[in-house]
Amino acid sequence: MSRTDATEEGNYEYVTARVRSRRSRLFDGDDYRKLVRMGTGEIARFMEESEYETEMNRLGARHSGVDLIEYALNENLAKHFDDLLRWSDGALYDYVARYLRKFDAWNLKTVLRGVYSGAEREAVEDDLIDAGEFSAATLERLTEAGSVEEVVELVDRTIFGDALTAAVDDYEEAGLLVPLENAVDRTFYEHLIAGLPRDRDRATELYVEFLEAEIDFVNLRNALRLARSGAEMDPSEYYIEGGRLLTPADLRRLVANEDQLVEHVRTSIYGDELDEALDVLEEAETLIEFEHALDAALLEYADTLSNRYPLSVCPVLSFVLAKEREVDNIRAVARAREAGLDPDEIERELVML
Amino acid sequence: MADDVKPTRKELMQIEERIELSERGHDTLEQKRDGLIMEFMDILDEAKDVRSDLDDKYEEAQRAINMARALDGDVAVRGAAAALKEHPEITTESKSVMGVYIPQIDSTKVRKNLDQRGYGVLGTSARIDEAADAYEELVDQIILAAEVETAMKKMIEEIETTNRRVNALEFKLLPELRENKEYIEQKLEEQEREEIFRMKKVKDKKEAEEDAEAAAKEEEDEEVVPADD
Repeated sequence: MSRTDATEEGNYEYVTARVRSRRSRLFDGDDYRKLVRMGTGEIARFMEESEYETEMNRLGARHSGVDLIEYALNENLAKHFDDLLRWSDGALYDYVARYLRKFDAWNLKTVLRGVYSGAEREAVEDDLIDAGEFSAATLERLTEAGSVEEVVELVDRTIFGDALTAAVDDYEEAGLLVPLENAVDRTFYEHLIAGLPRDRDRATELYVEFLEAEIDFVNLRNALRLARSGAEMDPSEYYIEGGRLLTPADLRRLVANEDQLVEHVRTSIYGDELDEALDVLEEAETLIEFEHALDAALLEYADTLSNRYPLSVCPVLSFVLAKEREVDNIRAVARAREAGLDPDEIERELVML
Repeated sequence: MADDVKPTRKELMQIEERIELSERGHDTLEQKRDGLIMEFMDILDEAKDVRSDLDDKYEEAQRAINMARALDGDVAVRGAAAALKEHPEITTESKSVMGVYIPQIDSTKVRKNLDQRGYGVLGTSARIDEAADAYEELVDQIILAAEVETAMKKMIEEIETTNRRVNALEFKLLPELRENKEYIEQKLEEQEREEIFRMKKVKDKKEAEEDAEAAAKEEEDEEVVPADD
């Protein structure tokens, strides 16, 4: 788990100062406006002259085009988040590590999907993002696994071990990866808050609030997807504990009626933040714009916390979100330009602060 | 004209029967061809609509997957696609339209619910759902297009075959038969004329012989009369 005792105070001053410097190097609105009007070659050139220079040059011999951009983005993301873990001590390390385990979850799902679909080992390796707690050696062992059961056995001692072992029977029975993927995602979200100290300072309380909001948004998004798909699925299978918006009983009741679900959100603690997004949702046929609004709301919330509590975990968390968003935005621009999508349409799809 | 045509009455009757049969066949085939063309025009209209919808659905599916690849990442989209366990199944039957067997394609497991797609709901987004939806609609449309366009091809083949038969009857077989009939009729008439002429000749010859015989007899009678002394 953490390399230092989580009960110790963290080195917030040092890490937040480094994070402020890193954050200033993130692309801004002007950069994105330039990027959406460039071709993929120009985007690659632009990246070679930016923060991503090292990764672009290193991967240039192996990949090309938009794949090169995507792999360089992933590698740069991994480098930054690895630095965060390297700099952090004590409780701060614990908080950051908890959040960055989303990349362990990502890597685990990528390996499971690779093994399940019989993908080449190199292809799976390329898709991994070495930004979580799993060491490079663990990731290598995972990519060498020959079966889903072997992957589950390899992560037996991690936080994912118990949930995956419990889900293996369902996987073997149904022949589908869904139980395993759900177990991985659920474990990540449930370990975000579990075990945090009860006597929290204000910044930690807000950190928890932020994580609860993320869990609530995930539950809300999934409830709406289930409501719209018409699938006969047990909503509790996708319910994540730890949020404040929905209880399992609420979810079961509301998933059958989208109007009631929207009304429930309107009258909840997120009513003000999501009011506009809910209006869009009621008019639109797709959930995409709503998901877009949820992402923007979360990003804004993290940013507000970071400004209010500059010497806490909040600026670090806000940087993690902003960096992830930057990577998502650049990849979106590159892929969308490759597909010949209209620059204005791409710009509308980007989530920017 | 065929070389082996025998100018006999029997042959003439046979040819007349064949002409009658061929004319009836020609009319039936013409009606069939016209019917097929009308059916084909209906299928063509349907095929045009289906193809136009197919183009729209392809554009929409491409847009949806490009957006999903752009915003969720290529890896996430490939991962979700790789999770699919149950592939669509297609069964084909055939039905007869004016004697042409056209396929009827039934598909199962093309349109799937969220729980049947194999990927987890927690780790994916609505964009991937939308791309999957768009591709399922596209596959359905491709199956419909395959059915309609195959039916169209079969109808075209049948129309061509029928048209070749109509043309063969109209421009080859019937003219030949009519020519043969005319030839036989001419030959028979000629034979009749020859027969009449021959009979006439025989009759004239017989009459001439009879006249000669009568004259000889008369002459003989005159010589036998005795003298009065």
